[in-house]
Parts: sequence; C-alpha cells; structure tokens
Amino acid sequence: MTTGTSGLDTFPKLLLHHSRERGERPAIREKNRGIWRTITWRELGEEAAALAVAASERGLQRGAHVALLGDNRPRLYVAMCAAQWLGAIVVPLYQDATADEIATSIQRAQVTHVFAENQEQVDKLLEILPRCPTVRCIVYDKDRGMRHYKQPQLVSYDALLQEGRELAAQKPDFLQGEVASGKGEDSAFLFFTSGTTGPAKGVVLAYAALIDRARLAAAIGELKDTDVAMAYLPPGWIGQILFGYVQPMVVGYCICCPESPDTMLSDMREMGPTYLLVTPRVLEALLKQVSLRIEETGGFKQWLYRSCMAVGARMSEQRLAGKAVSVGDRVLSLASDLLIRGPLRDMLGMSKVRVAYSASDAIDPDLLMFFRTLGINLKQLYGSTETGFFVAMQRDGVIKPDTVGAPLEGVELKLTPQREILVRSPGLFREYHADSEMTARAKNAEGWFHTGDAGDLDQDGQLRIIDRMAYVGALKDGSPYAPRVIENKLKFLPYIREAVVFGDGRDMVCALIDIEMAAAGRWADRQGVSYIGHADLAAHDEVYALIADCIAKVNAQLASEPLLAQSQIHRFTILGRELSADDGALTRTGKLRRHVIAEQYRALVDAMYSGHAGVRFGAEPDEVKIRDAKVTAPAQTRKVA
Amino acid sequence: MPDIWFFIEVLVGGLLSGIMYSLVALGFVLIYKASSVFNFAQGAMVFFAVLTFVGVMELGLPFWAALPVAIGVMVLVGMATERFVLRPLVSQSEDTLLMATIGLSFVIEGVAQLAWGVDVRNLDLGIRDEPINWVMDKTGMLISQLDITAGIVASVMVASLALLFSRTKVGRGLRAVADDHTAALSIGIPLKHIWMLVWATAGVVALVAGMLWGARSGVQFALVWVALKALPVLIIGGFTSVPGVIVAGLLVGASEKVVEVYIGPKFGGGVEVWFPYVLAVLFLLVRPEGLFGEKIIRRV
Amino acid sequence: MTITVPSSILQSAERAFPFGPPVLELESISLRFGGVQALTNISFNVLEHEVRAIIGPNGAGKSSMLNVINGIYVPQEGSITVAGERLSEMTPTHAAHLGIARTFQNIALFRGMSVLDNIMAGRILRTHATFLEVALQLPRARREETENRAVVEEIIEFLEIEHIRKTPVSRLPYGLQKRVELGRALAAEPKILLLDEPMAGMNIEEKQDMCRFILDVNDHYGTTVVLIEHDMGVVMDISDRVVVLDYGKKIGDGTPDEVRSNQDVIDAYLGVAH
Repeated sequence: MTTGTSGLDTFPKLLLHHSRERGERPAIREKNRGIWRTITWRELGEEAAALAVAASERGLQRGAHVALLGDNRPRLYVAMCAAQWLGAIVVPLYQDATADEIATSIQRAQVTHVFAENQEQVDKLLEILPRCPTVRCIVYDKDRGMRHYKQPQLVSYDALLQEGRELAAQKPDFLQGEVASGKGEDSAFLFFTSGTTGPAKGVVLAYAALIDRARLAAAIGELKDTDVAMAYLPPGWIGQILFGYVQPMVVGYCICCPESPDTMLSDMREMGPTYLLVTPRVLEALLKQVSLRIEETGGFKQWLYRSCMAVGARMSEQRLAGKAVSVGDRVLSLASDLLIRGPLRDMLGMSKVRVAYSASDAIDPDLLMFFRTLGINLKQLYGSTETGFFVAMQRDGVIKPDTVGAPLEGVELKLTPQREILVRSPGLFREYHADSEMTARAKNAEGWFHTGDAGDLDQDGQLRIIDRMAYVGALKDGSPYAPRVIENKLKFLPYIREAVVFGDGRDMVCALIDIEMAAAGRWADRQGVSYIGHADLAAHDEVYALIADCIAKVNAQLASEPLLAQSQIHRFTILGRELSADDGALTRTGKLRRHVIAEQYRALVDAMYSGHAGVRFGAEPDEVKIRDAKVTAPAQTRKVA
Repeated sequence: MPDIWFFIEVLVGGLLSGIMYSLVALGFVLIYKASSVFNFAQGAMVFFAVLTFVGVMELGLPFWAALPVAIGVMVLVGMATERFVLRPLVSQSEDTLLMATIGLSFVIEGVAQLAWGVDVRNLDLGIRDEPINWVMDKTGMLISQLDITAGIVASVMVASLALLFSRTKVGRGLRAVADDHTAALSIGIPLKHIWMLVWATAGVVALVAGMLWGARSGVQFALVWVALKALPVLIIGGFTSVPGVIVAGLLVGASEKVVEVYIGPKFGGGVEVWFPYVLAVLFLLVRPEGLFGEKIIRRV
Repeated sequence: MTITVPSSILQSAERAFPFGPPVLELESISLRFGGVQALTNISFNVLEHEVRAIIGPNGAGKSSMLNVINGIYVPQEGSITVAGERLSEMTPTHAAHLGIARTFQNIALFRGMSVLDNIMAGRILRTHATFLEVALQLPRARREETENRAVVEEIIEFLEIEHIRKTPVSRLPYGLQKRVELGRALAAEPKILLLDEPMAGMNIEEKQDMCRFILDVNDHYGTTVVLIEHDMGVVMDISDRVVVLDYGKKIGDGTPDEVRSNQDVIDAYLGVAH
C-alpha cells in the first residue's frame, strides 16, 4: 500500500490519487430523500476541482482561511477538498455554534470565504457580517428560503459549481499547478478547540502531522478501502475530520452521511459501518436506550438479557486476563450471542464493526466493558487536537479497561513531578493561530507539549488518565480527589444524564445531578408520579429518593476502592433544567466547563456545604432541595477478591 | 397406499376447500373495510347470484353468455345497494348499518325465490366431480377435478383482488376510506364510487363462490349458510386484512379436514362442523385482532 | 395566549410570486343548519399566491366557511368561483380535482397507515395507472410510482420528518401529526391550501415551526393559503389579508393593519378575552 504513496503529502494529491486508482469506488454515501446516493472518488475529485476553480475566481487565495459551517453532508467535504486544493486553510466550525461564537472564530482567523449548509447558518453569518469585514464570499448549499436574500457576498453552491464546471475544462493546467504547489508542511486545518477552561484556542495542524498519524492508525486498524465509516459527529471536532476526511484520504474508504441526526441509528443499521469513532457521550446515550428497552420488556426477557450479559462479561474478563475459557462457557457464550448480544449489536447498527474507538473524553470502565461484552471491539483512544489525536490507544489482546493503552509509534511521553503528561510526536500541532506567546507556553523549545492532563504509566507501559490537571486536587483531609472518575460512575446509571461533583479543598464531596428526562420520565409514568416538564419532575421527592438510591450504589463502589473511599458523595441536589452548551455549562463536544458551572450555581453549591438537607433555595426559579446521601463505611478490612 | 400420500390427499382437499372459504370471507372484508359493516346479506348474495346464473342458463343461454349476464346483474345489485341502502344511511351508527344488511338479506332471498322459484337445481359446469386419473395412478390419491378447478379459480380470484386492493389507486383509496371518510374525501377519493365498486366486487365474488359451491352440492337455499363458514375465517384472519383471511381460509380448510380424518373418529365424527369455531374462539382469546388484523394503538 | 413570530421567519417585502387575479371568490354565501344561521351573506375573495386568514371568536363560523369552500357543506345561497369557474354546487371530490387541499382542526389522518403511506395517499389524484398496468408493472405504473415517491420524499424533507417516515401516525405526538397532515395536503400539489387551525394545541416552538412551514410553502411553491386561526398574533404576522367573522357575519376585511384598527373588529374580537 505504501509504495507509490510517498509523494502524496497533501489531501488534494491523495484525492487525485484515489480518483485514478479507485475512481468508481464510493467515497461518500449520503441518504437523501429516503435513498442512499453515492459519490465516487472520481466524482468527488471532479466536483472539488470545479468548486476550487470557481472559488479561485472569487478571490480565494493560498494561505487564506475558509470556514465551514454545517452538518456532515457530502458538499461540506467537497468544499473542504476544494479549499485545500487552492492551499487555503480550512476552519471547521461547530454547526450549532451561536452567532457570537462564530464571529469570534471568523475574526481571529480572518476568514475570507465561508461554506454554510442552509438558511439557518446563513442567517447567523449575515447577523455578524458587519463585525467580520474580512468575509468576501458565503457559499450556501440548500437554497430553501434563500430566494429573498440579495446580499452581494452570497452565492449558491449550485451556481458556483456550474461556473466551476465550465472553467475547469478551460483551466486544467491551473488546477494541476495548484495541487503541485501544495506541500506536506503547509497548514491544513485550523481547529477552534472547545476549551473547558478559558476561550477557544485556534490549533493549526499541518498536512504532514495529520497524514503521519492517520497512516499509523490505519496500519494498526488494518484499514482497507472496503471499510465503511459513519460521518455523524460534529465536523468542528478533530475526531470527525480524522475519521471522516483524513483517514478516508489516506486509505480510500467510504464515509456515510445519515439523513438527519434523528435517523442516525436506522441509517447506521442500513449501512453497517466497519470502522467507528464514538464518544463516551454517544455510548452513554446508546446504553440508556438499551436499558430502557430492556426494562420495558417482560420478566423472562429481562432474565435472559441479564444471564446472557453475565456470560459475555465473564468471557470478556477471562479473555482480557489471558485465561483459557472453558468449553462450557464457550457454548453458553455462543448461545447468548445468538439470543441477545447479536440482536442487540444489530439494533445498534454495530454488527459489522471491526474496530471502534472511543475518544474525546475518559470513558467509564463499566461502559467500555458493556460494549465489549456485547461483542463490539471497542477501544479507548487518547489524544487531543494539539497532539494530532492519536497519542495512545488500546491494542487488541492487551486491553486494560482503566487505561487508554500504550503510546503509539513515534510518540514520546514524559510525566512531570505533578504527573502532567508531556507529549512529543510527529502529530503535534504547529502553533496556536496568531498567538506565539501561548504556543511557547504550551510547547517548549525541545518540542514537548503540555497536555494539561494528569496521568501515570503502569508497569506494562500503559497510560492511565486521571483527570485534567486543573481539576485534580485533594479534599481537606488530604485524600486525593479527581472529579471525573466519580462523575463517570454516576453517568453510567440510566437515570443520570450529567453529574458535577465538588470537593477540592472541601471537607466532603457534593454533587449536582442532571437527570435523564427520557428514563426518569418513563420511570415516573410507571410509578404513577405525575409531572409537568423537566423542572417539576426534578423537584419530586420520589425522584430524589430514586437518585439517592443511585448515589448510594455509587458510594458503595467508591468505598470498595481505597483511593476513592473518601470521595463518596455526601450531599446532592437535582437541577431543574439541563446543563447545555448554549448557556456555556458544556463545551460543544459535551464536556463540563466546571468554572462556568461553579459560577452559575455558586449559591446552590454554597448552600450544599453550609446548609442541611431539605433547605429551600431562592435564586432558582423553582424550589430546589438538597439531600444527604447514604455513605458506605470504607472497606478497609474486606477487599473484593 | 402409503400413509404420507393419504395425509397429502387430506391436506390438499382441505386447502382446496379452504381457498373457497377465503373467497367468501374476502367479500366480507372488502365491505367491512369500505363501509365498516359486517355484511349480513353476503350469504343471500351468494344464493341470489348463482340462482340468477342457473336461471339464465335455463332460459337457454350458453355458459359463456350467462356468465356476463349474471355478473352484470350482480354489479347492478351492488350499485343499487350503495345507492338505496348505504347512501341514505351515511354517518349513521354501525348498528344501524348492520340492521340494514339484515333487512337487505331478506329482500335478496325473497327476490331470488320470487324470480327463480324454490326448487333445488343442478349446476353443470362441465367438470366432473371425479378423481384425476393420472394422480390416482401415480400416487393413489383421490383428488377431484372439480376441487382442483375450484381451487385454481378461487386462487386467481383471490390473488387479483389482493393485488387490486393493495397496490392500485382503488386499493389505496379503499384503505383511506376505511381509516377516515372525511380525510379520504378531502384528498379527492370519490367515496360513492369506491362504495359502488366494492359492493359490485362483493357481488361478483358471491357469484363465483356460489358457482363453485353450487356445482358441488346443488343450487339451493342452504347456500345462504355458506356465509357462516366465513365467520371463523374472519375472526382468525382479522376483519380488515386481505392477506389475513387468505391465510386463515387455508388454515381453517386444512385443519378441519385433517382433524376430521385423524381425530374425528374418537368423537364419533362430524368434528369439521364445529372445529373451526373452536379455533376461532382460541384466537379470540390469544390474538383478538386476528392474524394480520390492525392493532389499533391508542395514545393515552 | 398570543405568540409573536420571530422576524427571521418572516419574509422580506419582495415576493417570489406576486399576487395574481382572484383564484377563489365567494359571493353572498349563506348557510343554515335547520333553524340555525351559520353564515349570513358573506363575500370575499382570495388572490393567487396570497396568504389569506379567516379569524373570529369561537363560533363565528370560521370552520363552516372552510367547509363550504371545499364542499363539505352546501350553502343555501351564494356561489363559489374557483379560477374563473363559477360553481353552483361544490363537492369535496370536485374541490380536490380543482386543486384545493385541506387539513382539519381535529386531525384527520389515516390512523392505520405510516407517515409515508399517509402522504402517498395524498397523491391519489395524480395516479392514473389502471389495474392491469399495475398488475403487469407496465412502464406507466412504474414511472408513476417513482414520481409519486419522489414528490413525497421532497415533502418529507421539506417538513423535516425523515425520522418518522415509517412510523404509524397513531404513535406520533400531536404536533407531528399536524405536520404529517400538512404533508398529505401538499402531496396533491394543490393550488389552494385550506388550513383549519393549523396551530391549535401546539406549544410555542411547534407554532413557530408551523408558521415557517406555511410561509415556506407559500414562498417556495407559490401555493395560495387560506387559513383559519384563533391565535391573533400569528395571523397578523403571517397573513397578507384577513377576513374577520363574528356570529356568521363578515365584520372586517383587509390587511392586518387595517383589520387591527377596525373598530368593529376591536369590539367583537379583541375586546373578548381569550
């Protein structure tokens, strides 16, 4: 495979290579109006060329920045190809970003050209246009509702493509020349990272860094051009770009764009992806769906499900521990696969998945094991935008659920005395856009990047992530405290969507709980608890009792681990509304922004620490209750064998 | 003769009479879907149809001429029913409609006997009720030519009706009418035409069923009770499901014959008379909406 | 309750389809049920490509008016002219053939069918293949089936209901059922769309969505829309002209601004607390 690809150091070169080598193979499939439509590599190449030449006529230049604003649709990826064809740097933005967030990114990157999916995105852009004088051209894809827009910057994708198709035939040399003048060390992407602390940072990555990491990961995953991946995560996130653009460019596999986010599961069942990128958030949502369905079935099916999962879990554990599996267990396992695990994999659209990676955030070991037990080869992947995404990953046969696996080839790891992970790798970012000071702070002269993550290496050389450096701390009595471990345990339970725990420098751990409406709502229906909306349900005493039970279970788990026993949750309250990215409590990828939450709920948190159970709290629109949780005595004498 | 051949003989005989049950039941389903009423007059229509056919033949018309005449008469009966019974009763309750069809059955029976007399007649379709020779030579099975012909005719009829009412414009219209009259009207479905068509079709189905049955057991008043055979089929298949009654007809036909032959002697015979009803009661207990009947989901 | 429509949903002054001649004219319509006078001597017209609203307090005769237009009720007096053709008596079937499609106040969907089948049913007048053509899968039958499906899929995309395509309508929440019903009406590619309280019983978000769909239909396909609505705020925002009924009589007719400043309307409608 690698022979003949050595000179292919940019995506436009790779695109031309694929349209020659596998021109009639699918590059992108899209479900549109109920039918899957295919774009071949040849078509992708031709359309990108046409769009590139037309964009060049409209003033797009080498080194300029092009922002993309939309969901995963083929045309977004064509626009990506076209921009890079001309040597422009692509700035993928989150499609649900607010106008202000978009304005900040556009201003900082001095974006000249924007691709927008539809009227909704165009409206946001037009609102901020007076603040963004660098924007010369907005290309929109779907023309619905766009009839009345007369702004001179606007041009429809169809019109641009039409122009381009005529021009492309006349200027083949120009197009060839543009591809040839691109080099591996050029900047390819500018990502605005969803900073959990402070404002977003503009991370610049070069072609060489991305292609190097993608080639390596492809070799480890034994990817082939017959593989299929789903494009369903936000294109503003580097993970989606790597799995939906960079790796397809390197390997030549096909991506599938679902019809809409709501049809994702059924579209996935239809396409049967073989290579999958997921986030812990997606997995939590899937697990909650499965649990809900199982809970609604009859007693026999529930029993069957539990027995089958128990057999599966025993098998996975024995396999991971490297023990031989008895013949009896093998037969049981086969049966359970036929009865429950196979159909469940089908339901989740994962029956053909060969390799699945979970990235973006730490995953609860139980959650990881649930999917592995189902028979899905799910592995953890550690990396960030700055590190080119692929730093460490779990390898087949040596999976330890509480680590993220061993560092990949080419990656050097170092731990500071404070246990901060430092990384040096060919995949590292070039710089923070137009901020040499911040770049110098993050990346030192020898090329070591400060990840901001705390972790340690175990005796097998596997990396264990503890939490963000900023969040690792200690309780008042000095016992170590890392909030994410506790929160992930809480989120594993079906009724809890999000949890925020507090404890650094405090004498005990308290938690804010955001309930999972779907699950809690159905629970309430079954219990005959009537409610009007989220806030009302969240304030019910029955729901408090339910969550108190959940927390007691988590506390029992924590008590059994010596390091975590002091981190049991003593007090909690249920939030009356969801934590959301729109009010800044979460990042666009769904990570907690602790400082924002701490600020928003300061009075409530103070009340938890100072007050006592059942106190009324005035600042929230509805009555908020605070409850004590049942704490388990630390298991010092007895340890689970 | 090996047991297996005997079993097949019984089974084939059962399936062949089963497809005729399906045919009769289909007449009910069509009308039930279009007008939401159990058409009590269906049996009377069977009797009237075949009596008309025989009567016309007795007037000296050959088979191929008598058939279109009889079809024409049945279409007229169907249309007249729509015009004079259903249309005046639009938006009345289902009970009222049921009563109307009971009345209709008396009218049709009366008119039939008034027009053609009360004698039992023979219907000769030119196909003899004798075993097919080569099948008997090869396997020893006794399978009647008439049964086979009836089975084929009924199958063709059932298949084309199923197609007509599932894939075509008329079929879609019928399903729409069955669900919501007002909405069906608003999208341009001519309700009156659909009703007329359905009643006319039910008339033709009655004619075919009557001919096939009449050729076997004579054209007589007892044909009215053929409709009763359709009741368990309807319950098992579901009142609104075309594929349901096809499968249910075959199931009832085959099972009653098999049960009669193999288990019947223990009860002193005559099992096939009541067995379908027992089967129907079981279905009512386990699956009240029938095999393929629509389970109406009601939102709380 | 009154909601306002965000300005981003509203169209600019420039119209994709300028108003044409009247496509629907009602002259001196009077309707009685037994001794009850439902409508008295009502006349108004609807221009091609306009959004025309009929408003009025409860029991003002709004639904009766709509039912007269599509032939469910036959008025004792008066005439209806559709696209220049004067009709003495209208039937629902005739109305459908003339390109008038409608939705109902109390959703009238085919409950046993899926969303897709419901909207497909709206194509029934656009289907011409005969029984034999379907049975033998002749070219016309196949072509029609493909065309119908393409139109229906366009509508599904337009109304953003891809995710419920195969769901039986009886399982859908109210707001989505309303949307499906609109989809079925659109499937007939109507010239005139009659909407009977399209936003009744919806929450604010659903109402805003519905407003957007109605305006988009008018803007994108040039469909003339006649709608009944209870909610004054919405009507004033999305209609070009408004007819006001009270006790079966017309008490106002004009642009939203004219109607708003009409003293009779203020007395009869706005004075009534809702």
